Amino acid sequence: MDVDMDQERKQYRMVRLLTGGVTPLVLAAALLVYARLHDGAWEPGAQAAGICRELIAGTTEGRQALFGSCWVAPLPVLFYLPFAWVFPEPTAGWAAFFAAWLFVFWTVREAVKATGQSGWRIVLAQAALASVMAVMKQPQALQISSALTAGLVLLAAAGLADWAAYRRLRDVVSAGAAGAVLVLCGFPMFGLAAVAVGLLPFAACGDYETRPRFQAWLLLGGLPFVYALGVWLLLNRLILGDPLFFLRSLAHIVPHFPLFLLALLIPALAMLPALVVTWVRDAREPSPGAGPVASSALLVSFAAATMAWGKVLEVFGLGWSATAPRLCALVVLMIAVARLRQPVYRLAVVLALFVGISSFWFSGASREAKPPLSREAICSKVEAYVQARTPYGRVFVVGYAGLDLLRGYSGERLVPNLDLHIASLKRAYKGQTLFALIPEPRGAVRAESVFWRFPEIYELGGERLLFSESFGTWRLFEVVTAPTQEQLDEWKKPK
Amino acid sequence: MSVLNEQRDAPQTSSASIDPLELSHRRPEWSASQPMTRAQKMAMATVALGLVVAAVVFPLKTAQILIALCTAFYVIVTLYKFIVIRASLSPSAILRFSPKEIAEQEPREWPLFSILVPMYKEPETLKQMVLSLAEMDYPADKKDVQILLEEDDEATLKAARALTLPKGFSVTVVPESFPRTKPKACNIGLHLARGEYLVIYDAEDLPEKDQLKKAVMAFEASPARVVCIQSRLNYYNPRQNVLTRWFTAEYSAWFDLQLPGLAALGAVIPLGGTSNHFKTRVLQELMGWDAYNVTEDCDLGVRLGRAGYATRMLETTTWEEACSSLKFWIKQRTRWQKGYIQTWFVHMRNPLKLCKELGAVNFLHYHLLIGGVTFSVLVNPVFWLMALVWFVFRPEGVSQLFPGPVFAAGAACLFLGNFVFVYINLLGCCKRKNDGLMWWALLTPVYWMMMSYSGWRACIQFFRAPFVWEKTQHGLVKKA
Repeated sequence: MDVDMDQERKQYRMVRLLTGGVTPLVLAAALLVYARLHDGAWEPGAQAAGICRELIAGTTEGRQALFGSCWVAPLPVLFYLPFAWVFPEPTAGWAAFFAAWLFVFWTVREAVKATGQSGWRIVLAQAALASVMAVMKQPQALQISSALTAGLVLLAAAGLADWAAYRRLRDVVSAGAAGAVLVLCGFPMFGLAAVAVGLLPFAACGDYETRPRFQAWLLLGGLPFVYALGVWLLLNRLILGDPLFFLRSLAHIVPHFPLFLLALLIPALAMLPALVVTWVRDAREPSPGAGPVASSALLVSFAAATMAWGKVLEVFGLGWSATAPRLCALVVLMIAVARLRQPVYRLAVVLALFVGISSFWFSGASREAKPPLSREAICSKVEAYVQARTPYGRVFVVGYAGLDLLRGYSGERLVPNLDLHIASLKRAYKGQTLFALIPEPRGAVRAESVFWRFPEIYELGGERLLFSESFGTWRLFEVVTAPTQEQLDEWKKPK
Repeated sequence: MSVLNEQRDAPQTSSASIDPLELSHRRPEWSASQPMTRAQKMAMATVALGLVVAAVVFPLKTAQILIALCTAFYVIVTLYKFIVIRASLSPSAILRFSPKEIAEQEPREWPLFSILVPMYKEPETLKQMVLSLAEMDYPADKKDVQILLEEDDEATLKAARALTLPKGFSVTVVPESFPRTKPKACNIGLHLARGEYLVIYDAEDLPEKDQLKKAVMAFEASPARVVCIQSRLNYYNPRQNVLTRWFTAEYSAWFDLQLPGLAALGAVIPLGGTSNHFKTRVLQELMGWDAYNVTEDCDLGVRLGRAGYATRMLETTTWEEACSSLKFWIKQRTRWQKGYIQTWFVHMRNPLKLCKELGAVNFLHYHLLIGGVTFSVLVNPVFWLMALVWFVFRPEGVSQLFPGPVFAAGAACLFLGNFVFVYINLLGCCKRKNDGLMWWALLTPVYWMMMSYSGWRACIQFFRAPFVWEKTQHGLVKKA
């Protein structure tokens, strides 16, 4: 008996080492190698690195950038921050990339093992996910932010499904916590997080024992979500002076905003059939919990809702942000399959099919175009241009794109700036010739605060802003000012 | 009530020849009879002097370093809580026995179980206590119950004499001497205990009826090095007022989540005041409780760990009365925190030896559990004040004290760490099915402020009156 138990323990340790240690490490390393070899220009944490640079320098821009937009969300930046402290670029980026994918493979393990599946089924699911990443040819999907999002969506969805199926307290906590952290992944994930968290108390309504405890599940599952959102609002109030600053861009970049808000509710309807299945199954079971059928139904519905959410974003012109929901839907579907009780060979075939179709799945997703000029080239050209005009020039590189552009820049002439308050800049840099370097408002850049404050700045400049020169897709504008009396006297002097 | 009439003449045991201070006499280095050694006093004075000099010569740098150290401490404590709570999910976190498993034990010979009930000026709870113990599901002839009463406690002695005690119950009179503490009384009870196992209950305790059987089964199912089984404690009056609500939330999180987590990690466990079941022989070898320590249970938990023994948690509850009066709550909490300070200093007399005996991991557990708890309640008000000043006035000076990484870690602790601590209390309430308390648990930060007040009071009392035992007033629930 003891010998059997010892052997079981040994086997358990081996499986744990394989699924929780060796496989995630190997797969994350393989993805790292693939990403580095695949496209030299591609970077794992493009904007996060720029914000981290400012945060480490302790600038106001860094703090504003961390919380000031629902499109460049805080979580990937906070995740990147310790790596940026410890390692120089680009090592920090690759280390963060590796850690983010380790996290994803760990979440795959947690989600699959929750139904009692172990060993090769988990390894297969992890390997299938890595293969999908390799064949889909979507650099965005390999970004740190996408990896974190996918992992958290998986945790939230699996937590919800397991809660409905087995009614374990830890599943409410897991889904609630994952939902809360998911909020910090940005606007494209708000709806999914709300669905995962909001359904927790409803999923327990099918059983007469757990139904009366609705408020407990609501509080336990929903509090982290509300708190995360509350902290984000508070920090916007403290740092940017407006609690809703990070959401302001929505009303400007989305056409028919009220319709958009209504459309966002539609994906949640995909969960209704699964919820009904959960209630019916739960009522039939002798003890609380709706069982694995309801769990699978919820996962599939969740994937459908995720896809629908991505579609809504695309329809309303936010296609650049729809890659993450697509990736999440795929991951959730794959895990729903891996959780089913079936022979290993059948699971392998189904997962291989997923890998095969994923390249088609993502073919329609928008891809980031490669910039015509490298960051370094733009910075040096702008610097040279301004230097030729005046030795006292200062260039404000605007927005999150600006933070990204200045990542490797060590000079003092180019300065990051988030929302271009010209009057205050003029006061702060009195006597200097000021310029503003504006990125092209395309894709995610459209959501920058400078474009909802000055919608035509890129095309037409603005009050006191005169076009000077183009550098790749960036445009340089000079801030013109009336000459001071001293300058006028200087000019009047005979030469 | 019938059980009270079974035994006409309850035996009254004399304890005059017993030395209840054996530990402090034979192993003074293990006792809090001397709160701090000379070396500890000198070390503290040196640190204090160093801080004052540094604060005068390099005020900003000193403040930055202190804040960085405190922030690092908060980060570690937050992560530690995560680890402990996660460990509490482990199947090995708590020993469980179903009613069926207990029933399957019969017929069997149960071992003699000694039960110690120290009481002081609680005549009103005596009858309920006797009734509750008599009704416990354990053979009456295998119960060895000692009611420990102080010689000068005329009221309770009179009530005990008036009561007809059931079979197996006896009254032990504790002679009047210094210090007048619960552990001193318990040591006398330990000397007279006849049982293979021994448990302590407070006068107002209502243990679950099958607790003794579960404890025996737990000992039998555990390795020999497990010499203590801690039951979970909770309160039967959670809804009396807001204080009892918070107190219950705190206890639910502590006994239902954190202690099981610590047990799963194999950590040193600061024992709860009652319902800890021991192997009597081992406890006698360890010379019982330290009569000078006002949290003798916590100290004993550490001594068990140092001696190489282990403690496990048992899924059974003893229901107690939550202190409903703020005045008495502060006194009780002051005593607990003073006891933690005493315990920390006692075992830190030789840190290297402690580390060797406990092992490196348990040494860290010890610092985080015993020293960390006290340290955090003492420094919390300073950081709350700084956060408040920063939110309201946004002064330049405060941001100078928090360089980049420290600011980030501090903000994480402020927004994430504090939330985690509140959420753990919610979780405890939910696990206990006290759903109505969950909303009140959201206000836990107010409770922390009260804890900090008691913490400072305890700190001052540690230096001015280390052995004063501020007794908790029971029976308030009935008066209410």
